[in-house]
Amino acid sequence: MVGTIQNRETFIRQLSSRLQRSSIPTHVERPQWRYTPQHKTLQNLSQDELLGVLQKQCTRINTNCVVTSTADLATTLEKIIVDYNGGPIMTWQDERFDTYGLTALFSDTLPKKQIELHTWDPTIGKDNITLVEKANIGITISDITLAESGTAVLFSNPNHGRTVSFLPTKSIILMPKSSIVPRMTQAAVQIRERLQKGETLASCVNFISGPSNSADIEMILVVGVHGPMYMTYIIIDDL
Amino acid sequence: MKVSLFATCLVDMFQTNVGKATVELLEHLGCEVLFPKGQICCGQPAYNSGYVKEAKEAMKNMITAFNDAEYIVCPSGSCAYMFREYEKVFADDAQWSARAKKLADKTYELTQFIVEVLGMTDVGASFNGNVTYHMSCHMTRLLGVKSAPLTLLDNVKGLTYTELPNKTTCCGFGGTFSVKMTPISEQMVDEKVQHIIETGAAYLVGADEGCLMNIRGRAERLGAHVQVLHIAEILNSRKAEVRA
Amino acid sequence: MPMKVGNESFNNRVGEGIQNTFMRSAVSGAQDRLETNRQLATEELGNWEEWRSLGEEIRQHVLANLDYYLTQLSEQVAARGGHVFFAATAEEAQVYIADVANKKQAKKIVKSKSMVTEEIDLNHYLEEHVGCRVIETDLGEYILQLDNDLPSHIVAPALHRKKEQVQESFQHHHQYEGTERPEELTKHARKMLRDDYLTADIGITGCNFAVAETGSVCIVTNEGNADLSTALPKTQITVMGMERLVPTFEELEVLVNMLTRSAVGQKLPSYVTVLSGPRQEGDVDGPEEFHLVIVDNGRSEILGSEFQAILQCIRCGACANICPVYRHVGGHSYGSIYSGPVGAVLSPLLGGYDEYKELPFASTLCGACTDVCPVKIPLHELLHKHRQTIVEKEGRAPVSERFLMSIFGIGSSSSGMYKFGSKVASSVLKPLTKNDQLSKGIGPLKNWTDIREFPAPKKERFRDWFENRQKGDD
Repeated sequence: MVGTIQNRETFIRQLSSRLQRSSIPTHVERPQWRYTPQHKTLQNLSQDELLGVLQKQCTRINTNCVVTSTADLATTLEKIIVDYNGGPIMTWQDERFDTYGLTALFSDTLPKKQIELHTWDPTIGKDNITLVEKANIGITISDITLAESGTAVLFSNPNHGRTVSFLPTKSIILMPKSSIVPRMTQAAVQIRERLQKGETLASCVNFISGPSNSADIEMILVVGVHGPMYMTYIIIDDL
Repeated sequence: MKVSLFATCLVDMFQTNVGKATVELLEHLGCEVLFPKGQICCGQPAYNSGYVKEAKEAMKNMITAFNDAEYIVCPSGSCAYMFREYEKVFADDAQWSARAKKLADKTYELTQFIVEVLGMTDVGASFNGNVTYHMSCHMTRLLGVKSAPLTLLDNVKGLTYTELPNKTTCCGFGGTFSVKMTPISEQMVDEKVQHIIETGAAYLVGADEGCLMNIRGRAERLGAHVQVLHIAEILNSRKAEVRA
Repeated sequence: MPMKVGNESFNNRVGEGIQNTFMRSAVSGAQDRLETNRQLATEELGNWEEWRSLGEEIRQHVLANLDYYLTQLSEQVAARGGHVFFAATAEEAQVYIADVANKKQAKKIVKSKSMVTEEIDLNHYLEEHVGCRVIETDLGEYILQLDNDLPSHIVAPALHRKKEQVQESFQHHHQYEGTERPEELTKHARKMLRDDYLTADIGITGCNFAVAETGSVCIVTNEGNADLSTALPKTQITVMGMERLVPTFEELEVLVNMLTRSAVGQKLPSYVTVLSGPRQEGDVDGPEEFHLVIVDNGRSEILGSEFQAILQCIRCGACANICPVYRHVGGHSYGSIYSGPVGAVLSPLLGGYDEYKELPFASTLCGACTDVCPVKIPLHELLHKHRQTIVEKEGRAPVSERFLMSIFGIGSSSSGMYKFGSKVASSVLKPLTKNDQLSKGIGPLKNWTDIREFPAPKKERFRDWFENRQKGDD
């Protein structure tokens, strides 16, 4: 479906005239910027060094950061779930959970422990919202991870509900170590490359750095406002 | 080296001792000091208030007065900056732009001149006392002279320096702001005086008579025990005590 | 005038601000903290001046090609199924948004913090013309809205409120029974708002930056309220000032980083959310319908003028956080939702000199704002341009001042006049002088001596001393 555009002509004509031209340029090339400091920040770091940067940043954004091997992931995740007082849990629908060896945990171990787990399911529509709103924990996967700011980049799609990362009280985000890049710069470049290859941009790209917080009352920091109050990143050593 | 002194109107009329100290200091450092008689005011009060037309008349007078100067030295960062600004003010004026630029290029604030042109960091001064220093806004931010006065103070024998809290915050002078927006100016200078008192320093030193007149005037009104001095007076002090 | 705050005169507002001791200690505390954080966050990059140059260059490039990029943005939003409305005035924006709300028969609207919707006074308009509830979801805005109060800081809107006042508001409006602890107050707001998100018909947001290439809008929050306001209601309306866009994700990245470092010293806030059109096919959450309202409301008159640089602003508030005037008078003294140095430049441009002619003079031109601006807006120079415009083009200066300045013009350009004036000054002022000081001045000196001592002019001027000394030498 294509949307509508209203009132554009006079509006834009006024701008062109203020810019002292009679019509809109047919093409504008972005200039070569004189300085590009963003590419220099945290460059030439190894993946281990980037992980170090990420871990340090997590201590500054009230985020628990755990590193685990692929083999230990299920145990680690189970422990965190228990620490977070169990279910209900809502996860994205994502094959990578199986790849990471979490099938047994999700379909067997947790149900046996009476920990309720739901998977986002586009076929049930709005019921997802009801489930996710009641969930204690939301589990998602970071596609690109930014070391500098301690950020998970989540892309929405029919199987990746946006709300899984911000309606539950606690949020657990799985981060493959291979997904760590220095900073948002590399994420922006990657996103543009994907678009140029013909991929469609997700309707919601979320850069999440720690739990929701506010200092609006007398500048005193309170963690947990509208989104999650607790957050854990699990770094999966997939390299 | 021949130096033409741009004394500023505040020094000419009110703080004559600052002018005297500047002359003696520059002579002590081996300069020949000239005083172009045609100089009046750099035009800043009118210019900053939005009266550019009136200010330009004052500026043209200054350009003419200092036409033959080799170096222009001024004991005020703000007024020295004003000379630098002339270049911009007259940028589109065919008759005056080249002369304005020439004037701007040879103008220096006193401490800047000593450090950058004379290449000296120790003027051989001695002064016994605990001093704190106010970084004037125009000198620090617009003229870009940040370290020269502190470097020079650092080498004054007998002087102890205490840093002023919020040292780069404006004192609330702002030229005509001080009389147009007096209630706001009052709050700003009060906080400045409070910070000066907190340092425990006996002397507040600065390089701009505008700011100093504001701080001094308020400190005196509040009965604060601090003496406000221009940096030229400290740097020209060769004895253990400051000259009256 | 929608952006206007209160009806008091400038002097009364300033007087009230100065008397408000809680506000002042809150503001100075916040300033010190935010400015320290900003310094740390910018210095740790090691090359902040390069970042500033880049930020400036990006913003200037966008402004120079605003017609092109806005066209591209609108095409991209429409291609993704969104609706774009170009609003030349606040009224056009109000009417369009109310129309959408009426069509949706909206009863409840949740809204995330936005300066431009404050500027066009959207909430009141919707309440009046649609009859729906509009609920601010940013915690600070939520608190202010309960008492119909207005923001006093671009980034921290409720800075002037005490926690006890927040507690009282909650008690009064919600029968809140908890303490004044911020954690508890916040928890209460969370509980109240959760239900609102789930039941709202429309979510309205501002826009930190739009991305022309992808037709996206980027919203930056720490609370996550913009995410909930857009993920749950069926309709999303985003309102943006027309200049708030970037060419691609790559420039978005740079400016978001600079925004949050400058605003609060964060590398990134908790949520940087980039939304492109309505939900895509198969998506379960996110809006079914997306509207982007692009607002001019006086901005195009600034474009191409000597004030154009103010449109580079990314609303970080760093200039307010360092401004010594803002420190003592607070945000409401500016009489506009845009306060601090950026407000003193922008408010007269958007709201006119009738309302805001004092603001450009409420500055010492100390330049601290210009120094911290991440996109290098020469704020103090723009304040000076305003002064010149007010005096020379608008002729709004008081007669007495104009007279004084004309005397200044003559006195400071004619050697004879100055010689005479400065020579007699000492004798003229003699009757007012005691111990070499003037404590009770008259005329323009009165304002000075109301709060400070003024030195008596010296009988021997410096130039006389110099001349006499030379004579002695000869």
